[in-house]
Amino acid sequence: MDTQSYFPVPPGVGMEENFLSLDDILLSHERLPIRTECTFPRLGFLEKSSDTQDIPEGTKMELPLWLTKGLYERKRKVVSVELPKVYREGWRTVFSADPNVVDLHKMGPYYYGLGSQMLHFDSPENPEIAQTLLQTFIARFRRTMDSSQNAYNEDTSALVERLDCLEKALFRSGQSGLNGFQSWEKGQASQLTASSLVLNYRKRKITDVQP
Amino acid sequence: MVSFVTARPAPHAAGTICSAVPVGRKFLNTHTKKQTDMDPSEVEFLAEKEMVKIIPNFSLDKVFLIGGDLGPFNPGLPIDVPVWLALNLKQRQKCRIIPPEWMDVEKLEEMRDLERKEDMFTPVPSPYYMELTKLLLNHASDNIPKADEIRTLVKDIWDTRIAKLRLSADSFISQQEAYAKLDNLTLMEINTIRAFLLDTLNCMYKLRSNVQ
Repeated sequence: MDTQSYFPVPPGVGMEENFLSLDDILLSHERLPIRTECTFPRLGFLEKSSDTQDIPEGTKMELPLWLTKGLYERKRKVVSVELPKVYREGWRTVFSADPNVVDLHKMGPYYYGLGSQMLHFDSPENPEIAQTLLQTFIARFRRTMDSSQNAYNEDTSALVERLDCLEKALFRSGQSGLNGFQSWEKGQASQLTASSLVLNYRKRKITDVQP
Repeated sequence: MVSFVTARPAPHAAGTICSAVPVGRKFLNTHTKKQTDMDPSEVEFLAEKEMVKIIPNFSLDKVFLIGGDLGPFNPGLPIDVPVWLALNLKQRQKCRIIPPEWMDVEKLEEMRDLERKEDMFTPVPSPYYMELTKLLLNHASDNIPKADEIRTLVKDIWDTRIAKLRLSADSFISQQEAYAKLDNLTLMEINTIRAFLLDTLNCMYKLRSNVQ
């Protein structure tokens, strides 16, 4: 029985992030292009391209998501966020044409996650972005399902490399369903095997200890 | 047109697949990942409650167990017992198992052809046909005629049904339907797809809530 001793916290899909989820923490490191709306005194060291003491208004720079979310406020304009390339009009039409062709891993491994977080920044294109995310997910679902449910005991790296992290998690759960069934059918489910914890920690066996 | 209907299989299966159904309402899965699937061994355990006919070669008075009474055993007289007992007796060489009526080459061939013609799921020979086939053919293949052909036929039926299940799941997701009818699906089939489908529906729900 494949019970895990460690249940990782899953990423919060959608506009919330799970504080303890590793996927969400890595997601929040993605950099977004922003434009500063006021000066940041004595923070010139953040902006490597110019050697000034402080960051003047109107500078275009890149900040990670966690910082941008913290600084963004609708009323007091501190920063204004530009959409990354992948969520803009041009790419949106590509996604609506044929989502299966796109290599989502290259587009930023957290396409869906980052897209959902971008919706916090009140861009006028928000409804279209949200719609595109949903439609892309639905269109790519078929391929993920087929590949995860049919690839038993094969090297799946070729299938997985074009998937975004969210889709990879789905792929894994599809695979686990398939593997569970296949191993049951072969009769491996009732065979006793050494637990992975024991193998990892290499417990000394009595035969090794006694001379 | 989606073809699943809630009802037949065991209560936990109906419960979990029902929980996937209302895409508009909140799920509980936000912070904890509960184990959302059964192990195939658990499904096999449930299958072992089905009754099967055996011919014992010993005699024993009526046995009173918590689950029910098992009638007096007389050598040479057929009697209905649960599969777990039948397998145990067979392994101790105390009985002969009689294959259930549906485990017959012609009947299975008809079922397989019917399954291939129909778009919906056809009524299944037994709600645990896959598990019973595996158990009985592994332990009692000497009592069952044409065991290999039966195994192949049951596998064909299984493959056809699983393919239909995937097609239904695909149309369910791509058309974003709100509910699905699960007619004539067995617990084992539901089990193989449950984790994947529920996770997908979770993601879809959250991405959809972004749109509003």
